[in-house]
Amino acid sequence: MAPTSCSLCRDAKAILKRPKTGQQICKDCFFFVFETEVHHTITEAQLFKSGDRVAIGASGGKDSTVLAYVMKTLNDRYNYGLELFLLSIDEGITGYRDDSLETVKRNQQQYDMPLKILSYDELYGWTMDAIVEQIGKKNNCTFCGVFRRQALDRGANSLKVDHIVTGHNADDIAETVLMNIMRGDIARLGRCTSICTQGEDTIKRSKPFKYAYEKEIVMYAYFKKLDYFSTECIYSPDAYRGHARTFLKDLEAARPSAIIDIIHSGEAFEVKEEIKAAQKAQQTCKRCGYMSSNDFCKACTLLEGLERGMASSVITDRARKKMDAMGPTPENLRTIPLFRSTPTITVEMPSQS
Amino acid sequence: MSSCGNPTAEEEALMPRRLKFGKSKVCVKCRLKPGNIVIRHAVYCKECFSPMIDMKFRKALEPSVNASAGTSKRPRLKASGNLCLGFSGGLGSSILLDIVHNTYFSSRLPLDDSGKPRGGTNHPRNASVWPSCIVCYVEVCGTFAGMRDQTEDIRSVIQRYPSFDFVPLRIEDAFDDSWWTTVSGSSSIPRISLELGKEGLIADGLCVASQATGLTPVEALRSYLSSLPTQTAISSAIQNFTRVLILHTAYSRGSSHLLFGTSLTSLSIYLLSSISQGGGYAIHEELQEEWAPVTASSSRLSGALRVVRPLGDVTAKECAVYAWWNDIAVVGRDKQRRAILGIAGLTKDFVVGLEKDYPSTVSTIARTCEKLEPKDAPSGQCRLCQRPMQSGIQEWKGRISIRSFSDDKLAADLTHLPSSSRDNLDTSTPSELPPSLALTNFLCYSCHTTLTSRSSRGVKRSVSDVSSAAPLPTWVADHDLYEERLIGGGGLNKVPEEEMHDIVAEFLIDN
Repeated sequence: MAPTSCSLCRDAKAILKRPKTGQQICKDCFFFVFETEVHHTITEAQLFKSGDRVAIGASGGKDSTVLAYVMKTLNDRYNYGLELFLLSIDEGITGYRDDSLETVKRNQQQYDMPLKILSYDELYGWTMDAIVEQIGKKNNCTFCGVFRRQALDRGANSLKVDHIVTGHNADDIAETVLMNIMRGDIARLGRCTSICTQGEDTIKRSKPFKYAYEKEIVMYAYFKKLDYFSTECIYSPDAYRGHARTFLKDLEAARPSAIIDIIHSGEAFEVKEEIKAAQKAQQTCKRCGYMSSNDFCKACTLLEGLERGMASSVITDRARKKMDAMGPTPENLRTIPLFRSTPTITVEMPSQS
Repeated sequence: MSSCGNPTAEEEALMPRRLKFGKSKVCVKCRLKPGNIVIRHAVYCKECFSPMIDMKFRKALEPSVNASAGTSKRPRLKASGNLCLGFSGGLGSSILLDIVHNTYFSSRLPLDDSGKPRGGTNHPRNASVWPSCIVCYVEVCGTFAGMRDQTEDIRSVIQRYPSFDFVPLRIEDAFDDSWWTTVSGSSSIPRISLELGKEGLIADGLCVASQATGLTPVEALRSYLSSLPTQTAISSAIQNFTRVLILHTAYSRGSSHLLFGTSLTSLSIYLLSSISQGGGYAIHEELQEEWAPVTASSSRLSGALRVVRPLGDVTAKECAVYAWWNDIAVVGRDKQRRAILGIAGLTKDFVVGLEKDYPSTVSTIARTCEKLEPKDAPSGQCRLCQRPMQSGIQEWKGRISIRSFSDDKLAADLTHLPSSSRDNLDTSTPSELPPSLALTNFLCYSCHTTLTSRSSRGVKRSVSDVSSAAPLPTWVADHDLYEERLIGGGGLNKVPEEEMHDIVAEFLIDN
């Protein structure tokens, strides 16, 4: 059988079938369309302006490794004029995060970008290993997710960056749309398809891979020979998200456009005005100054639960009230440092070779 | 990016199951009798259960009955037109038929203490809410060979309710000129088709050809279905045809309300399935819809047709128990029809499976979707599904994925292609016709995706099956497409008689 020619340039031999469009294309065209689509996503949404300091949330996984590479490529190609940093969060998971951080350190060398690593231990006084030891594996993702978000903001703050970009891809966003519908999280459903989010007192966050399929990111890393760390977190029992992910993969197998179709749906609707009006207004945490919809932010509440030995009972607002009823917060409680207190910046510079 | 999430979670990590029922085994309504059924951790006895379902039904339906809400807290119910019930033979619609009959059409009038009708039989309170009721059933056995025609089974069920008129339809009516003439009054119907690619599927350009295919309605239906690229598209097309056939029939018969027996479980499945197929913009229509054909003439007295799903608060389990305790016969649907469901089938399996571990999920999906509305005002009505359509669909699709190098916007970017690829680059698009001859801009996102989105598995089709064009349903080819110069060779078309009549109608003397 004669080799199929690339359906884009119609010249070179097609070597892959693009998951997003089903087109058979050559390697060069794949690199071109992948990078150009990310470029279009960035420019259409006007994510950056020249001179911006941008931190790339780097975990050592495929998405952030490819993101760092593509951001550097596009910054050079289109003269965005960005100052790029790598920002990693060390959750303190032995045998998982310590290994993946080695990948990030290699990326730092390869891409010649400054790297900042901020650990849960230095920020909250708890590692995930210690948290799981106290609460078990159930609900540990709640702690990790809440702590990570704030840690990223604090790390970015210490780097004095204007913007954090994360490697969330189209599959992640489609999965989040489905999850938020299934668990009735209207507030998150309203903002989960936004390419850029910004809290009142926090740094802008955006997702340049919003329309990039996970499979294409892996494909890009494979053909570019980028090395990344690919192990599931050892504490990852979020069965509900797991169900949603399996469902999404089934949908994608039935019709590959399902991922992008779900994102389109998520962008086409919004929460009704009367429902928005009834939602809690955003305020700042009375303890640490971070954005919050209650008096205390979720991270402070979870930390207080850990410190008081009642961690498993602070997942919901109702449980928080129960903890309050158990007595006032002890005065000697360890708390998160006040936000915007700009801790000392310790940036590892790539060694000159 | 998300690095957590593991479907094969360890046992220790899963949420513990809640008790099947709450604190007591006594009915939560009457608090006297022992319960017979557990509904989402609440216990009900047999006597309290059916009135509770009836109450849910009325609560969901009655606020939509009167054309305007008015100021009265308990207004007298009076619809502006007739009633139409969509009947599939399934569980939900069987119950719907029974409840509607018992509530609004049985001869049992509310009695006073002396056993006489309250206020007398002529009292306005005792007048029917709807003057008449039709039951529409769409027989789908024409879709595939070997399916059994269930029309007579359905007829026998409906004969038990003498107040209802049975209106049997067939899914191939979507391609039947005589049906379209009946519901629209339009006599000159152009036949239009979509061009097919070499593999027998609808070509991406959605180019329209005006031609008579000479096919019977069943052949046209099968030809259309076989040109669709995925199982999901076939299932979506059948569902869409069924819906539009009933909508037009109900509207043409002067109905002000069309009721479907969609249960809460089915509703959540439809919503999630619709979102997964890109139908987020029309999510509100999936719940409740005000519909009128775009070509509706001003002669119609009543307003739009109100589509209501009054069993939208009743789960499939409650429906099953209600049918069992009230001796309601359920015909059921041909199993073969369920075997080709694609995304709809996957969604059903997913939601039903999830309900076991997370029982609130079903209602949460519907409740969440009730809180949503489309972001922008509609730019028209989709020609295929006849639902509101948003603007800028093709721009969005073009922006998020590059499918051709011929786009002018890419010219600057193409300089970044490696020189070896750039030198021989072909940026022409020989197969595409000017956009004015394509159906693309007349379709909503979901319908456009249905026609064009391919499966990753490829196509297995024998050459003998391949024809050059796939016929479209009659309503797509309605006369207003002439105005858009989509069919009939630009602006030199003969103006259809109905259109001329509409223009001069106010000057004609009716005698």
